[in-house]
Formats: sequence, C-alpha cells, structure tokens
Amino acid sequence: MEVSVLGEAVIRTHKLTKWYGKHRGVIELDLEVRQGEVLGYLGPNGAGKTTTIRLLLDFLRPTAGRAEVFGLDPRRDSIEIRRRTGYLPGELALYGNLTGQEFLRYAARLRGGVDWDFTHGWAERLKADLSRPIRTLSHGNKQKIGLIQAFMHRPSLLILDEPSSGLDPLIQHEFYRMVAEAKAEGRTVLLSSHNLPEVERVCDRVGIIRDGRLLTVEGVASLKERSLRRLEIHFASAPNSGVLAGVSGVQDVEVADGGILRCTVRGSLDPLVKALARFEVINLVSHEPTLEEVFMAYYGGDLKHAG
Amino acid sequence: MPGEVFARTLKDQKRNLAWWAVGTVFFAVLVVLVYPSYSAVPELERLLEEAPPALKAFFGESASITSPVGFLNTELFFFMVPLVFIILAVGRGSDAVAGEEERGTLELLLSLPLSRRRLVLEKAAAMVITMGVLSLAMWLGIAAGSLLVEIDLTGVYKAAATISGALLGLTFGALALAIGAWRGGRGISIGISGVVGVATYLLNVFGTTVNVLEPFRPLSPFYYYIGAEPLAKGLNLGHAGVLTGLSVILIALAVTSFDRRDVAK
Repeated sequence: MEVSVLGEAVIRTHKLTKWYGKHRGVIELDLEVRQGEVLGYLGPNGAGKTTTIRLLLDFLRPTAGRAEVFGLDPRRDSIEIRRRTGYLPGELALYGNLTGQEFLRYAARLRGGVDWDFTHGWAERLKADLSRPIRTLSHGNKQKIGLIQAFMHRPSLLILDEPSSGLDPLIQHEFYRMVAEAKAEGRTVLLSSHNLPEVERVCDRVGIIRDGRLLTVEGVASLKERSLRRLEIHFASAPNSGVLAGVSGVQDVEVADGGILRCTVRGSLDPLVKALARFEVINLVSHEPTLEEVFMAYYGGDLKHAG
Repeated sequence: MPGEVFARTLKDQKRNLAWWAVGTVFFAVLVVLVYPSYSAVPELERLLEEAPPALKAFFGESASITSPVGFLNTELFFFMVPLVFIILAVGRGSDAVAGEEERGTLELLLSLPLSRRRLVLEKAAAMVITMGVLSLAMWLGIAAGSLLVEIDLTGVYKAAATISGALLGLTFGALALAIGAWRGGRGISIGISGVVGVATYLLNVFGTTVNVLEPFRPLSPFYYYIGAEPLAKGLNLGHAGVLTGLSVILIALAVTSFDRRDVAK
C-alpha cells in the first residue's frame, strides 16, 4: 500500500457530467472522497450513483468535467487506478461455468500478487462456497464471491456498488466488519447504497445524490443534527395548542389526549427546552432521527423511488 | 499475467471446439468417400459443360469436375468450408466483446488491471487458434478420406486450401469482433458479418461470369480465398497476405474503436 497523508482526496471530481444521448447520467458533480474514510453514496435508483462509479473506473467517458482517482486520470492511468482499486459492480455478473475458486484464481492471476490465504480467510468469514459452479449459486452467494474478489488484493480504495444486496443479516454484519477493518487499516471506501441504516452504520460521511446532482456531502453526525426530530412532550396538565407558538424550530404541533403534545423540531432543541421550563413536564420522548428522515428532508418527502 | 484472457477463452471453448473439430473431420471424410462413385459417372462432366456459365461458376472454375481437385472444390471448398469456418469465426468474434458485454461479465473483467487493448488482442489470438484447429481438422478429414479411396493429391495443397479457409474465417471473425467492439450488440455483429459474407460470396461467384461485376471481384475476401485455386496450385502468398492483412486491420480497428467508447452494462 502506498503511503499517503491522511485526509488527502483519493477521489475528486470536478463538474463531472455524463449524458447518455438525451438521458441524464450525472450533472456537474463535485465529489471528494478522502483517504481513510468510508463515504456513503446515497440516492434512489437511477439517481446517478452507478454512473459516477463507472466514470471513475473508465467504463464511461465524461461528457464534461473531469475526475481524479489517486490524483490520476481515469482514462490515461486507468490500469494503475484499477490495480489499486477493488470494485464490486451493482449488477454483478460472473462466469457461470466457473466455480467460485476458479473465478477468483482467474481474477487473482489477472491482478497478480494476491495472497491466497487472505482470500480463503474471507471466504470462511462470509461462508462462501467456492467449490460449486457459480451458475448454481443464489444471488447472495454470488455477491459473496464478488465481495471476496473486491477485497482480495487488499486495495487502497474499495468501490462497492450496493454491496450488501442479497446478503443475509449475519453475513451483512460480517461485511460491515470487513469495511470497518479496511478503514482501520487506512483504506478508503466509497459505498453506494439506498439502504439507510447500512450507511448510518458504516459510513463517516454521506453524499446524497438525486436526479444526477449531488445535494450534499456531510458527516453522518452533522446530518442527523441538522435534521428533523420528532418529540413527544407529556405535560402534567393539558396545555393549550398555542403553547409553543413562536418557538424557533418547532413545527407540526399537535395536542393529543392526556396532556400529550407532539411536534417536530428542526436543529437545536434549546429554544424548545427554554420554552418548556415554564411548565411541569413529566416526560420528554425524543425519536432519534433515522437517516430516512434526514433523507426525507432533502428529498422533500418524495421517497417513492427510493426502493 | 499476459495471456490469461487468451487461455481462459480457449479453456471455456475447448469442449465446443472439440465438437466442431470432430464434426468437421467426419464430414470431410464422408465427402471424400463419395468421390469414387462420383468420378465413375462421366456424364456428369458433360452435363456440367452444357450448363449455363453462371451455374458453372457456382460449381467452380476447375477444368474437370470429375478430377479429385474439381470434386473437392465443388463439394467442399466452394461452399461448405467457407460456411463452416465463417460460422464458427463469426460466433467467436461477436462473442469476444459484445457477448461478454451482454452477459455483463465484461464489467468485472475490465475492473481488473487489464487494458481494453489487451482484452481484444487476447480474444483475437484465441480466435486465430480456433481457426487453426478447425483448419487442421478439415485437413485431417480430407487426408484420411484420401487414403481410404486413394485420391491422388499432394498433402501440401490440401493444407493450402484449408489454411485459406482458416484465413477467410479469420477475416469474417475479425469483422464480427470489430463490429462488436465498435458498437456492442452480439446480434448486430452477427447480422452485419452475415450480410457482408453473403454479398461478397455472391460478388466473387458472379464476378467470374458477369462482365460488369468482374472488376469488383478483388473486393471480395472469397476471391483471395479460392481465386488462386490453392487446392490445385498451393498457397498463393499474395492472396493469403491480403486476408491476413485484412484481419489485422479489422482487429486494429476493434482495438481503437473499443478504446474510445463507453462500456455498457
């Protein structure tokens, strides 16, 4: 593995744009993935996640703008980039006539310098069956072989397109551990997903893409902070509905029976807490915002394409 | 390691190629075994002499249809050999890039440190070997048949004719490869190669009789395959060179056009 300064950009795109004829791929994308981080790339199907990834690996040529991986040009230095990158395609297709073992050996020979012990280690951890012809394997079991193939050469950059699709929960957790280990070893991971809990769990930062445009890139923690929080306040005596009027960040106030008030708070809770100090509050229930809700805020409530 | 894709391709196709080879040997032996009964009918020759020139062209230009050379040209080399070689080669050529692309396996292959150029060249090399094997099978069949019925023909000339067949097949295989590499789509690649094959075949045949077409005959790969009568006169290096050169150009076009385009999924 090459030595590089922590935090340096491993992937950087500048106004990266791809049109497929009249169909939109991605538009003026400025994305940066830093050395040693796990960046979640979140968006509904068709938003442009896969297009971005395919541009980085030189499957596609940009219509405008440019990209850099390891500071190299995806087209001119494609081989060097691919040597240092492990890739799991979103729509994985393997050679059905080969066994997992034969396929991995083939990929390993094409890469060169693969430590076969590691490969077997990963196969054991993921409970992958390498002895059967790939065409007889289920989607999840094929996915495991795709994952081993991506991790096999211990690359400094992992690009994983919808990696956990089809994996059962136990194997998914094993996969999350593999990602965490890769991060601990200083590797960089770009992980596309429309599975929000997954991104929440394994990523440091999240880039949200919609209709080909990057909406935001933020730390998972700060995203949650800026998001909507649902609160339930239990008062000792029934409040009137105007009680929180004018308190900054509070919306959707709704009074229920038994002195219960529900509302949504955007951003800091402080103004609300100050306002509540005047009352006798028995209980305060806060629902931790899931990324689903964060997502909802960015997507204007339209999640019907988000799979 | 260089040669991995080449080796993998041949390994994947070895069973299929073995069947083609076995079938070809048997077919060639059977055709040759018909010869004694064929040459025993002198009327055939007279019949053909009275036939219209266009029909004669279909059966070949050889002086005597009942001679071993005339017989093998008519029954094998004018039609069946090109057909078999071209079908196999076009199948391989269209599969090399377009087929892998349609099955989705190209994506993972090209995520490995393997250049598109190397992929095309190794696939093309596998196609050359495939044509070589088929050529050898055809030669074996004819040689074995000739031993059984005592046809008097130089082995070298038989080899010249089957090598010409391999070069013709390679030309069309390279065409199919180039179309698949340029645009993608296995169906398109096979379709265009097939149409070009039929058109240039007819051009070569009618070029021998239709005056208007005659000057255009050298535009047909079939002219370089059979025009110099390799079975009677041995390999014409110039003609073999044209087919080889054409194949090289088409493979080079496959490399450059594939390098320029997006890879679909």
